[in-house]
Amino acid sequence: MKFNLELIKNKRNIIGFSTVLIFLSLLGILYSTFNTSYKKPINLGMDFVGGTELRIERICKEECSNFSPDLVLENLRENSKNKNLLNNIKLQSQNNNKLISIRTPYLSIEESNNLISNLDNIIGPLNYESKDTRLIGPKLGKRLLTNCVTSLLVSLIAISLYITIRFDKKYALFALLALFHDLLIVFGIFSWLGIILSVEVNSLFAVSLLTIAGYSVNDTVVIFDRIRENLKSKKEGYNETIQLSVNESFRRTTFTSITTLIPLLSIILFGSYSLFWFSLALSLGIIIGSYSSILLAPSLLLKD
Amino acid sequence: MKKRQGWLFFIIFLLTLSVYLLINYPLQLGLDLQGGSQLTLQIIKEKGKVTRDELEAVNSVIDKRVNNLGVSESNLQTLGGDQLILELPGEQNPLVASRVLGKTALLEFRTQKEGTSTDLKTLQLQRFSIKELIKQYSFVEKSQNDDNFLNVIQDDLKDIEQELNYSSTSNDLYGKLIDIKKYVDKEITNLFIKTDLSGKDLINAGRRQEQTNSNWEVLLTFSNSGGEKFAEITKSIAGTNQLLAIILDGESISEASVGNQFASTGITGGLATISGNFSAENARELEVQLKGGSLPLPIEIVETNTIGALLGSKNILKSLYAAISGLIFVGIFMIFNYRILGFVSVLSLVLYGFFNLALYSLIPVTLTLPGISGLILSIGMAVDANILIFERIREELYDGNTLTRSIDSGFQRANSSIVDGHITTLLSCFVLFLLGTNFVKGFAATLGIGVLISLFTSLNCSKTILRFFTTYQSFRQKNLYLPRNNFTQ
Repeated sequence: MKFNLELIKNKRNIIGFSTVLIFLSLLGILYSTFNTSYKKPINLGMDFVGGTELRIERICKEECSNFSPDLVLENLRENSKNKNLLNNIKLQSQNNNKLISIRTPYLSIEESNNLISNLDNIIGPLNYESKDTRLIGPKLGKRLLTNCVTSLLVSLIAISLYITIRFDKKYALFALLALFHDLLIVFGIFSWLGIILSVEVNSLFAVSLLTIAGYSVNDTVVIFDRIRENLKSKKEGYNETIQLSVNESFRRTTFTSITTLIPLLSIILFGSYSLFWFSLALSLGIIIGSYSSILLAPSLLLKD
Repeated sequence: MKKRQGWLFFIIFLLTLSVYLLINYPLQLGLDLQGGSQLTLQIIKEKGKVTRDELEAVNSVIDKRVNNLGVSESNLQTLGGDQLILELPGEQNPLVASRVLGKTALLEFRTQKEGTSTDLKTLQLQRFSIKELIKQYSFVEKSQNDDNFLNVIQDDLKDIEQELNYSSTSNDLYGKLIDIKKYVDKEITNLFIKTDLSGKDLINAGRRQEQTNSNWEVLLTFSNSGGEKFAEITKSIAGTNQLLAIILDGESISEASVGNQFASTGITGGLATISGNFSAENARELEVQLKGGSLPLPIEIVETNTIGALLGSKNILKSLYAAISGLIFVGIFMIFNYRILGFVSVLSLVLYGFFNLALYSLIPVTLTLPGISGLILSIGMAVDANILIFERIREELYDGNTLTRSIDSGFQRANSSIVDGHITTLLSCFVLFLLGTNFVKGFAATLGIGVLISLFTSLNCSKTILRFFTTYQSFRQKNLYLPRNNFTQ
């Protein structure tokens, strides 16, 4: 079970592939900034813009009856004091009409309670024990956004510093290039998800980017270590030694990625819905991170 | 060999200790796992930063109010210098808490300006009608939308607006009603002059039901100096037609005359009552606010999360499924690929799980959903180190080294790159923990603790267990450590 990746032969293909991925990501980010209703590089969720999210289950004997969301919304609007707030209301049903989720601009606790009791009158009875409400004021949202962006920047700077101290300049530069490549692509994928499926990103997305950063650099460090070690003993040429080192650490890198992906997949499959996109972002980051550590970063080291 | 045996006993001791800790100090569950509400209170300051003293002062007022409200097992903590987080576990309605906590509760006593009696009477009448309109409006809202009725309210409101010579800019009816009430309140307050008596002069507050009707009144007890001030003030207006107003957050909640009999000494005894048509609930809320004192800076509730208990227990169950299935599949993967070594890593993973949880209950770390995901993710990362070591051991074995030697140098050579590799992850965790919000902190804490413990379990525990296995002759066959197809090649 020896691996033989033809890194030297495929250098162009690898770099080309990554360029295409980066191009597509940038395209998504640009499209999202200029051509969507929200005009942001990525579809910012409630955590960052503020708002109200209510999720509640209906109590049904066997199957929950069908209902028309538009009709329910009309009813809700008629019964509400604050007509303006409810202009931007969205209502969805999931799980065969059992689970109802509502999104509105920021409501006070009282207003959200009224909304739920009105909903109870229209399509009740509702199971209050299954309630999940989040009310985030716009001020806090802005603050969270700055908070997340600062965390990202600070930790990228810290990682970059660490890498530059730990490695020679050339290695550090390529390890960081691979890192930004990974983050940009995950960001781009979520830009596209926002455009196509209106997937929103919340503070957990920022957390996943940070975790990916830590993890992806870790993988690259291990491979570069192996390259350095092998270059010292210099049995073959420079390019060949790099290719050999990558093949030597291929098993290790893919295996560690797999063992990290397995728990993430089990969160995606069995875990709570609030962790779904978070785990997906992490999984994508780990897959892309392993690709860039095994194929991209060493290819960049190769001499022509 | 003796040294290793010492480690073995140490690990068994740690395991026993962990189990003991977990039994006696159960894990603290976050609100997303046990159900409840979390309120984030933002301190509002127009200019400059909130100082530490101000934060403390706000914290202590809020703390007193929360205690007087009688919510059980609530938890209040400060966040980031100008925020407070209040957790109310279980099915406690955050609405009451938000009403009581959100108000500044600045209590003032003011005396009426001379010669404003007629103005006040008109305003009081207008206040009465606007309150009636609001009542009617809520009634109409609750029953059925009756456009005729709403039109009547609209017309009445217009009349009041004309009388006041003020028109509201709000575009819906309810907003207008509230707006105009505020305007009337302000006008009334303006007819009164400030005195030096305020909520600071109170030492206690209480409530009781009025004898003549079902309304409630709030009782105030002044401090000694407050009592004197109160006597002084009441003396100055006794027998005149000037009234004494009690003003809460700019809204006059009671205007009363002081009888001629108090003209010589004022009202002494240091007691006063506010009877302004309070319901039992309103009286209680005011009592709680007055007991806690007024807030030095206004606060705003910027975030509320409420999670039902049922959803909480579902979240626990789902997380358990995810954690256990993750553990099982990682275990299968490891045993399939590394045989005995894989089994050793599974054992050290189990140890890892126990140590982690025990540390959570010791520190203590409150487990939340993101926290659990950090824990589950760190399972994967904990195996990382094992894989690095095992790959090294395999290489040594392929090179024809003896088992003991391979194991030794495998652990030795992988050591530095394992520590190195985890530093970047720890860096990210550290930044997240410093700058993150409550939720994010949970993730950073569990992932960070996990990575640290995994260094111990994967380096030390797996080595010790492996050494223990290799003391038995039957576990010393090389082919137990390598997949068969590899060994025969």
